[in-house]
Amino acid sequence: MKAVGARLPRYDGIEHVTGRTQFVDDVRVPGMLWAKALRSPVHSAEIKGLDVSKAEAMPGVHAVITWKDVPLLEYGHLSALGIPADEPLLARDDVRYKGQPIALVAAEDEETAAAAADAIKLDLEERTPLFDIRKAFDADAPKIHQWGNWYPHFENEMDRRQIRKGSIEEAFDKADVIVQGVYRPAAIEHVPLETQVALVVPEANGRLTIYSCTQALYFSLGVVAAHLQVPLNKLKVVGGTVGGGFGGKVDTASETMSALAARKSGRPVKWRWTREEEFLCSSTRAPWHMEIADAVTKDGWILGRKMLTLHDSGAYARFSPYGLTKHSFHHTGAYTIPNLHFDGFVVFTNRVPTTAMRGFGVTSVSFATETHMSRIAHELGLDPYEVRLRNANRIGDTSPNRIVYTDPSTVAVVKALAGGMDVELGSEYASMTRDKREGDLLPEHLVGQLADPEDH
Amino acid sequence: MNLTVNGVAHEVDSAPLSTLLHVLREELGITSPKAGCEQGGCGACTVLVDGEPRRSCLTAVGAIDGAEVTTVEGLGTPEALSPVQQAFTHHYAAQCGFCTSGMLVAAEAYVRGGGTDEPEAIQEALAGHVCRCTGYVKIIDAVAAFARGEEFDLSTTAASPGMTNLGGAQ
Amino acid sequence: MTHTTEVLFPSSVDEAVSLFGDGAGVTVVAGGTIVVPEITYGRLAPARALMLSGAGLDGIEDDGAAIVVGAGTPVARLAQLADAVPGLAACALNVADGEIRGQATVGGNLCAGHGADAPRGDLQGAFVALGATARSVGAGGERSEPLEAFLDDREGRLLLDVRFERPAASAFASLDYPHTHEYTVLAVSGVRTQGGEIRLAATGLADHGRRLPSAEAAASDPERAGAAALDDVSLADDALASEWYRSRALPVLVRRVLTQLQEAS
Repeated sequence: MKAVGARLPRYDGIEHVTGRTQFVDDVRVPGMLWAKALRSPVHSAEIKGLDVSKAEAMPGVHAVITWKDVPLLEYGHLSALGIPADEPLLARDDVRYKGQPIALVAAEDEETAAAAADAIKLDLEERTPLFDIRKAFDADAPKIHQWGNWYPHFENEMDRRQIRKGSIEEAFDKADVIVQGVYRPAAIEHVPLETQVALVVPEANGRLTIYSCTQALYFSLGVVAAHLQVPLNKLKVVGGTVGGGFGGKVDTASETMSALAARKSGRPVKWRWTREEEFLCSSTRAPWHMEIADAVTKDGWILGRKMLTLHDSGAYARFSPYGLTKHSFHHTGAYTIPNLHFDGFVVFTNRVPTTAMRGFGVTSVSFATETHMSRIAHELGLDPYEVRLRNANRIGDTSPNRIVYTDPSTVAVVKALAGGMDVELGSEYASMTRDKREGDLLPEHLVGQLADPEDH
Repeated sequence: MNLTVNGVAHEVDSAPLSTLLHVLREELGITSPKAGCEQGGCGACTVLVDGEPRRSCLTAVGAIDGAEVTTVEGLGTPEALSPVQQAFTHHYAAQCGFCTSGMLVAAEAYVRGGGTDEPEAIQEALAGHVCRCTGYVKIIDAVAAFARGEEFDLSTTAASPGMTNLGGAQ
Repeated sequence: MTHTTEVLFPSSVDEAVSLFGDGAGVTVVAGGTIVVPEITYGRLAPARALMLSGAGLDGIEDDGAAIVVGAGTPVARLAQLADAVPGLAACALNVADGEIRGQATVGGNLCAGHGADAPRGDLQGAFVALGATARSVGAGGERSEPLEAFLDDREGRLLLDVRFERPAASAFASLDYPHTHEYTVLAVSGVRTQGGEIRLAATGLADHGRRLPSAEAAASDPERAGAAALDDVSLADDALASEWYRSRALPVLVRRVLTQLQEAS
């Protein structure tokens, strides 16, 4: 415990201020080639033809990689979590988002690599794209994905994340008011200062040394090994300082593609994304569409919540089913609501696939829940702090997925907020704690959801 | 073309329209200026050109023939950190470190030019520099301390106020 | 990078003019802040690049009545005119950040074409409001004309300088976003000449900076003038702001500038 409260030097502090920190782009290897990608110029199309011969023949070009060069084309990054593979490393039959990589060129310099990528003959038959997740369920919506327009592989092959608790019908019957709201946070870019970059060096002993900006070194090691179909001991991944990730560098595929180019050319290959690629083609935090209808009594008890969530996964699944799962567990936020009817869908569109970012899945529903709590207070003419304190999670309350709360912090946080805003709470509220519900804080409708923390 | 970089004279082989960023990183192996955007939008590539802070990604090397260029490597070394480097270290003004080179150079130019510890003036001077990690507060604190000429003892790890010192550094 | 480009370094204005010729096949590189990234991103591969940094085109002359600003003058240096033309100085200091202002030139900023994704020409409205005359060379030799006319027809022209009469008062108001070097989304510049005439111009329009004659005609009533300004212009519509949003902001900026001019003694 010597470290708690002490000033400690950052292990990389001196490096950072002297310019000595080695990011991937700072690694210098003799004989290095630069890579540029051919990316889909359109949102959705069938690939009718792909001819790289002109690019391959260009002076200064050492390798061109397409789907044909990938031993295992589709590998699900989260297959260990039950999400099957759906995304080719390089496009083969079709392209489903603008910017999707189709080929990678490795050449003596960036200019040559870019010129060669331009020289690749690409024959596309465009299709009508889908961007609005609400329209994905229409009978005449374009078909985006081989699985249909929404993810169908939750447990027992369910096509949604579903939570049912108590009786939503009873809750709606007993309510004085139904408070509704729709919440639609937009996509957010990570914008790390360091763009995505990978450098792969083929060693004389047949191994590959991979310098990667990945946030998840061992994870990426497994991804590369799977796509290349090589044992782990053939790969050496050198991680190091990531120039900002925020979740955007956990689903990297750049090192895999660079590895294939390095193997094919026999030379070290570096692929450094431009800032424009980073903005246009990198994965983002997902857009969401959330509809909430709460059954509320006039004194501010939330009897039940009916909720529909559509999550925009973009063109492929990546981590979206996992994000939606977390979202569903937390869809009541910091509050205890006993009767629940939740349906959440991972919807495919022709956008750049969405991915992890700082608490993904949960931040969206926190925003929706908190805004909705204020909406409830506003519509019922109640104090927004009091509504929160009344419904706050307490010891013994259960979450949407029946986890028993043993250490909930809602009451303390809301009281601290009130204090910070110089709001004086009524004495009944000011004296509230997180202790197990009893008396006035345990109305009939909350009895059934209580559980014993000892059972946790 | 000729450039003096951190006091060392170099003959530049790259084409005149090559960016100073490219020349520094690829030809001269000086990697502290970073390619954050290569369009002048982020400040990660900033270096001093004849004492003025400039985006090296926007500077055609042919336009600065004969100039003196200073990068972070020319400010100080791990064994002998310059005051701005010490201030940034003491104030934990770097997290991932990618924006740090540009911030340091801009801060150095700002204080050399008479900049004060006023947060608004510091923000104005460093306005072209983006950081996605720190939220800027510690960077501004570091520059303010540097502007005030504060000195730092970087060897100790003092306990934070209100806590007992439990034994110092590991 | 771009080893095939012929790069020219004129060391005098005459040499620059001569090498520019009629501008055919020539890419002018002044500060480079706009052109260099286009080359880096492979969108521009100049056959001949005319580097103006050593050509002596920079400088501000002020004889008390008229001011001449060389096209090669760094944008930052317009701060020198803070007393004589505060509206122009304010506009200049609102461009990007200090590092870019120190490198970008007045000429480069004025002549920048409307970017595909980025509005440009932050200084256009300010100089148009000043009634500036643009002196340029190209096919047919030297030409002096109102800046707005030059901007309408600047293909194949090399801007040498802009000249304007010192105003009695000047003002500037802009839509500002938190990120400092947002492009000028929308800005209004205003000038009261020594003769008492009010001139207004806007930047952030569909093409380039322009006068607001209808607003000028109603200048004594800022509210009316703000509304009238919408009749004068087509507004830009891009990722930074929709035309709708700009149309709500323009009257506000016009009112602010007119109020500033009224308050300036």
